[in-house]
Amino acid sequence: MKFRTCLALLLALVFTGCDKPATSGGKLTIGVAFETLQTEYWVAGFDAIKAELAKRDLNVLEAIADQDANRQLQQVKNFIARKVDGIILVPKDAQTCLPMIKAANEAGIPIVLFNRPADKSDAKSVAVVADNFQLTRETVSFMLEEAHKSGKKYKGLVILGDLGDLNAIGRRDGFDAAVKGNEEVVEIVARVPSEWNQEKAQAGVVNALQANPDIDFIFTSSDFLFPSVVSALKAAGKYHKIGEPGHVILGGFDGDATAFAMLKDGYLDATGVQDVYFEAQSAVQALMDLRAGKTGPELIADPGFVIHQANLTEMAPRMWGANVKK
Amino acid sequence: MIRRWRQWLLSEYLVLFLSAFYFAAMWPFTPGLAAPANLANLAAAMLPLLIVALGQTFVLIARGIDLSVPSTIALTSVTGALVMNADTGWLRGNVLVVPAGLLAMLAVGALLGLANGAAIARLRMPPFIVTLTTMMFVSGLAIWVTKSKNILGLPPAFNAIGAQALPAFAVTLAVAVVAHLALSRTLAGRWLYAVGHNERAAHVSGVPVAHVTLGAYIVCGLCAALASVLYTGRLETGSPIMGQRILLDVIGATVIGGTSLYGGKGKVVWTVFGVLFLTLIDNTLNLQNLSHFTIMMVKGTVILLAAVLDAARHHLVGRPADA
Repeated sequence: MKFRTCLALLLALVFTGCDKPATSGGKLTIGVAFETLQTEYWVAGFDAIKAELAKRDLNVLEAIADQDANRQLQQVKNFIARKVDGIILVPKDAQTCLPMIKAANEAGIPIVLFNRPADKSDAKSVAVVADNFQLTRETVSFMLEEAHKSGKKYKGLVILGDLGDLNAIGRRDGFDAAVKGNEEVVEIVARVPSEWNQEKAQAGVVNALQANPDIDFIFTSSDFLFPSVVSALKAAGKYHKIGEPGHVILGGFDGDATAFAMLKDGYLDATGVQDVYFEAQSAVQALMDLRAGKTGPELIADPGFVIHQANLTEMAPRMWGANVKK
Repeated sequence: MIRRWRQWLLSEYLVLFLSAFYFAAMWPFTPGLAAPANLANLAAAMLPLLIVALGQTFVLIARGIDLSVPSTIALTSVTGALVMNADTGWLRGNVLVVPAGLLAMLAVGALLGLANGAAIARLRMPPFIVTLTTMMFVSGLAIWVTKSKNILGLPPAFNAIGAQALPAFAVTLAVAVVAHLALSRTLAGRWLYAVGHNERAAHVSGVPVAHVTLGAYIVCGLCAALASVLYTGRLETGSPIMGQRILLDVIGATVIGGTSLYGGKGKVVWTVFGVLFLTLIDNTLNLQNLSHFTIMMVKGTVILLAAVLDAARHHLVGRPADA
């Protein structure tokens, strides 16, 4: 009897359920789906997008996929079921997001990818992405200029990201492009694959420092790996401020709070800052343009900027890591 | 009163009642919960998770646990993609590419189950350690084989199995029916319960304990491979990290349904209820627009409560009704 009552109750609810769109009180609703919030950069991006949407008086539906692409597909379908007016997506990678974009396309809902572009396909979307290649090249070029001043030849180490991620590939290529032709300044003796994992990065740097104790030039593809680098350098007795004997020239990418603290304390030479505020503003604007039927570029590049000791005071207000509350 | 609570706690339909109650309670406050499109999403989310959880049910009934299912999903996903993809697939262009890819995925799943089962049944190693190390090894293998890269260009006929509702539902229904019949209508099913309930007594009674344990892990590997077919087809991508985060959902849903972590107890229909409940919670919390951290905390609490409930039921079963 109880079982039948339960079934009847469920069926009654199902058949009386109504399909209301997410739009409420005349306001548009935007679904914001992030793959993860596990690093400061993603949290800062998430907050910047929500702030931008709030500024434009738009409702937000949020979903975090906990690094699971299948879960994210489900979340995007939930957004579509709720008839959101637009979707901003941070996908896990360039491939698994394609069915999500196609689903949004089929439902006629505009979709913008934040910070990670999709692979080429017939699925239509706009992506707002930092110019990983150019910004890395500029950052590493600055580090090379610093190295050149001393007149000695450096031994270099680069920490690579997850090479299934187009951003990581862009940064690796930017690093290689900057170093090419500067072999008299720095010889790259170690390339550490991190797969965006702090433990792997630390183990890799420790091993590299054991094999090459004279490494004195390190670039990491993301600032969130700096704690691993610093820990390995401290263990090797090589963590010194700029200007002190034995200083290892350090550079990074992102512009997070750790990098800001290291800059302020005089340990970090330079980092390439992704302009999160520009990216958030561009993503929301692109979504509004798509809704209005305007055609624009499929890829909006965030030029970012290189921050270093000489321009720290001037550029810090635009560095998102400087604005993160610790 | 105590008798009523006891009856309620031990009811076969406890989790279904809870699901119905939860649905009814959340419905007025959750926009779009009962909308057909959302219900379709809910069902779609349940299907692959249910298949993996059914495999886990077999292992839990045999008083084991399989922590390697996420890596089995990943390796089978990659295997299928390596066989079928249009660019570099070993059988690209062949008319039998999809059946061959499916067979390869199932074979890898079964082999991994066999390896786990052999180590546990023959070498008498603890399931926890065996399947945990299998997970580490196989995850690494999947990443090494693909060099961390996703594989695109899978045949549309393969993608349709996971992406379209009807074939995905048909596959899941078939697995559930076969699993139900195997557990409730076959000698092997009775042996499985006997092994989980008391391995020594089962052995004395002539039950081939090692074969039964081996079989449970092979079924679990096969189910993970089948779930991988749905997951991979949905995303149209073979990924070395496919299913990486579902382990807690799989074990949580199975235990929430009522399958005991202490072995010897479990049913297909209970697992269906457990998966329904967990998926419903996930869906409603998302629709409530709660933060990611809140959702994680609520889900963790629900799974913990289910484990506590399992312990209470286990305790109650061993006591007379009027105690």
